[in-house]
Amino acid sequence: MSIPTNGKRLTPHFESNLPPRNRKATLWRTLFQLSTTIGMIMLMLLLYNIINASFGLVAIDNKIDPASLAVDGVPIEELDQETLITIIKENVSKGKFRQLEREQPLAERTWDEVYQVVIDDVVQPKDIVGTWSLVESLTRKEEIVAEVEQEHPQATVKFTSWIDPQFVTSPQSSDVLKAGVRTALLGTLLIIAITIVIALPIGIGAAIYLEEYASDNWVNRMIQTNINNLAGVPSIIYGMLGLAIFVRAMKPITSGAIFGFTDPTTANGRTILSAGLTLSLLVLPVLIINVQEAIRAVPNSLREGAYGLGATKWQTIWYHVLPNAIPGILTGAILSISRAIGETAPLVVIGAATYITFDPNSPFSKFTTLPIQIYQWTSRAQGEYHNIAAAAILVLLTLLLSLNATAILLRNRYSRRY
Amino acid sequence: MTRERFDRQLQLLLDQVLVLGSMVEQAVLDSLAALQRRDLVAARSIYEQDIKINKKRYSIESECVTLIATQQPMARDVRFLAAIIEIITELERIGDYAKGICKITLLLSEEEIDPILIYELQQMANLGLDMLRRALDAFVDGDAVIARQIPMEDTKVDQLYNQLYHKLMEQMTTDITTVDRANHIMWAAHNLERMADRVTNICERIVYVATGEMKELDTT
Amino acid sequence: MIDNDLNFAIQAQNLNIFYGNFRAVKDVNLSIERKKVTAIIGPSGCGKSTVLRSFNRMNELVPSARSEGQVLFSGYNIYDRQVDPVEVRRRIGMVFQKPNPFTKSIYENVAWGARLNGFKGGIGNPSMDEWVEYCLHKAALWDEVKDKLKQSGLSLSGGQQQRLCIARALAVSPEVILMDEPASALDPIATLKIEELMRELAEEYTIIVVTHNMQQAARVSDYTAFFNMDENRAGYLVEFGPTPQIFTNPQNKLTEDYVTGRFG
Repeated sequence: MSIPTNGKRLTPHFESNLPPRNRKATLWRTLFQLSTTIGMIMLMLLLYNIINASFGLVAIDNKIDPASLAVDGVPIEELDQETLITIIKENVSKGKFRQLEREQPLAERTWDEVYQVVIDDVVQPKDIVGTWSLVESLTRKEEIVAEVEQEHPQATVKFTSWIDPQFVTSPQSSDVLKAGVRTALLGTLLIIAITIVIALPIGIGAAIYLEEYASDNWVNRMIQTNINNLAGVPSIIYGMLGLAIFVRAMKPITSGAIFGFTDPTTANGRTILSAGLTLSLLVLPVLIINVQEAIRAVPNSLREGAYGLGATKWQTIWYHVLPNAIPGILTGAILSISRAIGETAPLVVIGAATYITFDPNSPFSKFTTLPIQIYQWTSRAQGEYHNIAAAAILVLLTLLLSLNATAILLRNRYSRRY
Repeated sequence: MTRERFDRQLQLLLDQVLVLGSMVEQAVLDSLAALQRRDLVAARSIYEQDIKINKKRYSIESECVTLIATQQPMARDVRFLAAIIEIITELERIGDYAKGICKITLLLSEEEIDPILIYELQQMANLGLDMLRRALDAFVDGDAVIARQIPMEDTKVDQLYNQLYHKLMEQMTTDITTVDRANHIMWAAHNLERMADRVTNICERIVYVATGEMKELDTT
Repeated sequence: MIDNDLNFAIQAQNLNIFYGNFRAVKDVNLSIERKKVTAIIGPSGCGKSTVLRSFNRMNELVPSARSEGQVLFSGYNIYDRQVDPVEVRRRIGMVFQKPNPFTKSIYENVAWGARLNGFKGGIGNPSMDEWVEYCLHKAALWDEVKDKLKQSGLSLSGGQQQRLCIARALAVSPEVILMDEPASALDPIATLKIEELMRELAEEYTIIVVTHNMQQAARVSDYTAFFNMDENRAGYLVEFGPTPQIFTNPQNKLTEDYVTGRFG
């Protein structure tokens, strides 16, 4: 079978074009490097901003001199409960007073308790007269101290890290110095727990069905297309969906009424359960797609090997496909959870509470989450709220990274076997 | 077509077998001519040329083995190569018969021989060589039909041999002094009769290549 | 029960295999003798693997595959509605072209299939440990892995992996072992070991091997089936006979052309 060339011998001509080819190659490589660098720079800027705001100098002043509160020359330590209550009423905002009454009417509290309220909320409110970022605090320390000396002679300047254990364990408070993220953190954790428990089994199950069992007819193709599209739907629409179905239509279930929980504050269904269900829906399409990819990535030769030994479809999936797909499934889980943790808009629509001070203790509690808390703090005018917002962001990032790290560790542990 | 190179190698091999065939044929003719002329020098020369026949046979055989090892021949190809190895062996034997006749020429040297006897030997040789030529042609063509027919002519050669045998026996019993000469002539005739048998073997191989059957061919 | 000739392990009768509307294999009638090695050879695309996989219903894993005709095994047509393909595949095992051990330990690779099919140790019966050792011995792999049974199956070389796959197939006690080009991904030494193994296994099992390596078919098999492709790209059986005959004196000219390499 010789190739017909009429016996001639052709000598082709190649022109050396190595320099322009190399130049082009270098150009593309530089562009890619550049995009990576830009990404890294953005990331660095973000971190810088957050850390900058999370630590710094703060100048604190006592709002009201305890002595000035004395009525008719009698110091507050000796005043009776009624008078104390009056003092409280006069010195605290209406909203705060109502909140105190709601928690427990002041008249019904002991004298000690009322006195403590006076100390905490009237005398102690430490007025923050100024906060500075980390960089400023480190570079302009003497100037700042002098400034404060001048304007607020009674104020003290000290270096705080806005993020500290107390920050994480304290509940919400309108006092910046005392405010903490415990309520929000617990809300986030509970909601994510519900999301995981609901979304993971359904998502993995659906993916297994679609990849392994479903035949290739138009119904299944339509389902697949819909799932792909749902992954791109804006999250606020899920919020509206959740509002309509879980909060309103399924009110008896989500508010816990049919289970016997009759907390009037959650009778409208704006509970952790609703939030968890909504986020599950939100996260399900992305999860299904990722798990499908993971299952698809398992080589068919493994399945054939199992079938060849007389295994049923389910045995093949359970003993071979799933274990080999675990790295991909965990990746999908990480992506979904990360997305869910950061969602704010749909939860606002569902009805996250704007101000709660007690911990959520059941799926039927009112809730707030870390992103919502951050949002609320950043939208306040006072500068000091931005600092604790930054601190809350650090908490959120830490939570996210530790969840991711756990999943990555699990993934590595399972991948190492092969 | 695939295996062009292999086909060329097989063709070259076949050519070499034909060369060997003609060498052997020439040797038989020359040995009988030398006997007739009582040419001792020629006889000795032909005798020594037998080495070339042997060398040729070994070289062909070695090439066959190489092709078997390197080309993994199957079916007809492998039968062909197996047949060649056998055929060149038969040809080499025929060459040895020619050498034998030369030896007899040398042994008979000056002795008187009845020309009719030599004439009859030549007839046997011609018949045998004709069979050989046609057999080698049939081998080139892969013609099993002709190959089956050739062995039947062996009877003619056998008849001539029997004739010669009786004549010599008569001669030997009447005149004892001729026994030595007669024996040598008998031996030459025997060689030529065996030559025809060898051609029959060659024909069996030709049929084998064509049909895959290994069978003895009837010489009756 | 169909009364098939019990000398034959598998008999294909009028077997036609379709993928959708395309006929991949046409009118195959083939009888595989028990406890012998039968080789299936032929040019690419002539349906050798398809025919092999039809013997243990592995074709059905492809959604559009469909067969007509019968494949008789042990008294049944394996395509009968009442026959469970899972049971068929247990009794007719398969070894694939590219070694595909499970992502488990060597021990587990062999034990999994057995356990799946209800292996029970106990008094009078071999334990799982004994059974695994036995299968690895039969696959000529025991000596090389006896110290590392807990290591991953994928830590072995290609040839060892393939022998592990053979051991795995043996562990479910099949009667027939189908091999789809088992040595084509292996180096020559590993290939020869597999070929040697095939001959040893044939004393106990019926072996059917698809190979595109003619010399391997000639070396290893007792019977050879030559398949070709017709003008509609459907595969069909051209000639079937004892291996020595197919390779020294085939009856069909196509077979002759193929084995002498003068095809196409």
